[in-house]
Amino acid sequence: MAYYLIIARSVTYAQRIERVLSRAGIRCLVFRAPLELTKGEGCAYAVRLMPETLESAQKLLWENGLRQVRLLRADASGIREVEL
Amino acid sequence: MIYFDSAATTFQKPAEVAESVFRAMQEMTSPGRGGYPAASKAAEIAFDCRTELQEMFDAFSPEQIVFTMNATHALNIAIKSLVSSGGRVIISGFEHNAVTRPLAAIQAKISVAEAPLFSPEETVAAFAREMTTDTCAVICSHVSNVFGYAQPVNEIGALCKELGIPYIIDASQSAGILPLSAEKSGASFIAMPGHKGLYGPQGTGVLICCPDAPIKPLLEGGTGSRSSDILMPEFLPDRLEAGTHNIPGIAGLLAGIRFVKAQGMERICREERVLAAVAAEGLRQILGIEVFAEDRLFAQTGVLSFRHLGIPSEILAERLAEKGVAVRSGLHCAPLAHKTADTLRSGTVRLSFSAFNTMEEVFRFLNIMDFVVSAEMAGKN
Repeated sequence: MAYYLIIARSVTYAQRIERVLSRAGIRCLVFRAPLELTKGEGCAYAVRLMPETLESAQKLLWENGLRQVRLLRADASGIREVEL
Repeated sequence: MIYFDSAATTFQKPAEVAESVFRAMQEMTSPGRGGYPAASKAAEIAFDCRTELQEMFDAFSPEQIVFTMNATHALNIAIKSLVSSGGRVIISGFEHNAVTRPLAAIQAKISVAEAPLFSPEETVAAFAREMTTDTCAVICSHVSNVFGYAQPVNEIGALCKELGIPYIIDASQSAGILPLSAEKSGASFIAMPGHKGLYGPQGTGVLICCPDAPIKPLLEGGTGSRSSDILMPEFLPDRLEAGTHNIPGIAGLLAGIRFVKAQGMERICREERVLAAVAAEGLRQILGIEVFAEDRLFAQTGVLSFRHLGIPSEILAERLAEKGVAVRSGLHCAPLAHKTADTLRSGTVRLSFSAFNTMEEVFRFLNIMDFVVSAEMAGKN
């Protein structure tokens, strides 16, 4: 099953994203991003959400100034970075 | 014990504060490190506390809320971020050593905006006179820890904004008591302790940073973010939060903040002001006592200083302690405030109230004061 990962620079940033999305009714989960997804930066946090909520989530992130993130898509063919 | 030393630290706290500290010690580890439930719980409590503080102080975002050990730590970060060695700084005449000592350590050129006690208009005029285009920073305590004088920080902020001068507010004695907006005040930084008017445990403090403020870390170390980078992250709060957080303290602070919100800041301030007014009036009836109080307490909070013309402040405080009344005497780590008020030689005895003090305690204190002064004067005679 495909899902999206919003990679945030810190746990606080990830939590801010999660709160904004949760308040809008978008289900999401915060967890530690695997090292291989952090582009060599080391510790980072990810917010996982389902594909059907991506468009709304992106809009909310934009409206709330939460733009310093990377977006990854995970599906059967692997994980790749996608444009926000 | 009748505790009238809340300007040092609030002693009586809401029960939820200790309960939250205990719960955090039992259930939470460190945020931004592990990915397991106890670490997530720690991260949640820290974020909740940042969010509540953001709302209380009208800050831009939760990330602009930085946890420190205390207000002194917060002020050191703010001052050393804005002021370079030899830089010109303007301060009020009521600043605490937590402001003056870091400035002295970096050999700042300090100009004092001199104005009398309880004179907001003269205070603003004094700052306006001192401000020049080569001023590195303006620093003003919202409320004097000695005299309870509530300074016009928003008006001073407006002056700073006009001239583009960065501005630090020391909210040590006003956080949780007087409303303060990071946005409206125009402050680059607002520093406060968690353990006074916010009723959190000792070992907690907060620095609110405005988005444009230059930020210089006081400590470098692990942040749980961008670990591969040898340099501290550029972003807040991580840039200023190296090392393990005091999560039990932050949990307690959150409980304290929620208590203040539930009680209502306006109500807390009003009730403390009433206690101060009654204490001031009662003290004025005792022969030899000089009280430093504004007539209707509009420019004053629940902090009140007094002295006796014939009895040293330390002796008075000692006698009061013997009778179960906890106050502070001397210079209160604020010699500049005493210099401004012309109480440097004598110091003062300070009463500082909290939401847990009662009128009955004030009346008992006044009776004890009457007895103590009579006894001391009889002993002298």
